[in-house]
Amino acid sequence: MATPSEMKFLIVDDFSTMRRIVRGLLKEIGYANADEAEDGAVALNMLRGGRFDFVVTDINMPKMSGFDLLSEIKRDPTLKHLPVLMVTAEARKEDIVRAAQEGASGYIVKPFNKATLEEKVQKIMQKLLATA
Amino acid sequence: MKMESEETLSQRAQKMAPTIAPTEVFVQIGALTRLLHDTMAQLGVMPKLREAADGLPDARSRLNYIAHKTAAAADKVLNSVDAAKAEHAKIMARTHAIGKSITADPVKAVASGAVFNFVGDVEGATSRIDKHLTDIMMAQDFHDLTGQVVAKVVHLAGELEDSLVKLLVQIVPADQIHKVEESLLHGPVVDPTGRTDVVTSQEQVDDLLASLGF
Repeated sequence: MATPSEMKFLIVDDFSTMRRIVRGLLKEIGYANADEAEDGAVALNMLRGGRFDFVVTDINMPKMSGFDLLSEIKRDPTLKHLPVLMVTAEARKEDIVRAAQEGASGYIVKPFNKATLEEKVQKIMQKLLATA
Repeated sequence: MKMESEETLSQRAQKMAPTIAPTEVFVQIGALTRLLHDTMAQLGVMPKLREAADGLPDARSRLNYIAHKTAAAADKVLNSVDAAKAEHAKIMARTHAIGKSITADPVKAVASGAVFNFVGDVEGATSRIDKHLTDIMMAQDFHDLTGQVVAKVVHLAGELEDSLVKLLVQIVPADQIHKVEESLLHGPVVDPTGRTDVVTSQEQVDDLLASLGF
């Protein structure tokens, strides 16, 4: 498994500001290697065309939503191992349950802080290490 | 060619609905239109709808203005934070280096001018960081400008929503009304008061996921 500095994140959000904030926070917690995509469709192309270790995605996006992206990732044999952390303003219980059922590794509601992101990412990393 | 096509369509229509007389259809459509018009007039929604529709292009430009102002402010803040953090990282590295020099040989550190250079560097960096902080503060001026615009657009949206919901409730069959109400719930939760279908904190998200075995 790649070390934190080697791990490559894909940040998916239709708002560039949010992508930049998540990217900045990931860098602060030790994950400086990240790319960005503005929606699920672009993200899926990037995932299929390159090597990524972790996906952080919003839910409400044009063209392809975070749920559709999650579903595509989990259906693709070459991508289904990827952890997907949902970071979203959607606070409905049915969305959280759906994300869990469809294979998301974590769920963060906006607005969030650095400590929450760090806790969720580390928790997912520990699970990955345990199963590696 | 065109005549043939029209004739064919007309013939087809007659074959498909041979029992309905055209005048009867027109009468029914006319009655429905009158009913809709009267209902809307009685509800008082038509003037409101017209007013709201008239305001829509303006609302669009107002919302574009807000999007532009907030995006520019966010960019400005993030650029200033990046620059300030870079200055901060430089000070940290220089502090670490000068600490090591003083610990190793305090006299040499002062005599070589390293300490004075460090003081000068810190002064310069803090001055630049202060400028970045001022830029961040000034970037918040969008709130005053957009706040007024938001208030106007919210008022317009409220009027439009009110009119459309009244209209929808009148038109939709009674057994379908719950679907209208459900559709109005989608999107980010602005006011969770009294709702049991949403979470209000990250702790509640974690508890819910834990209850599902996560």
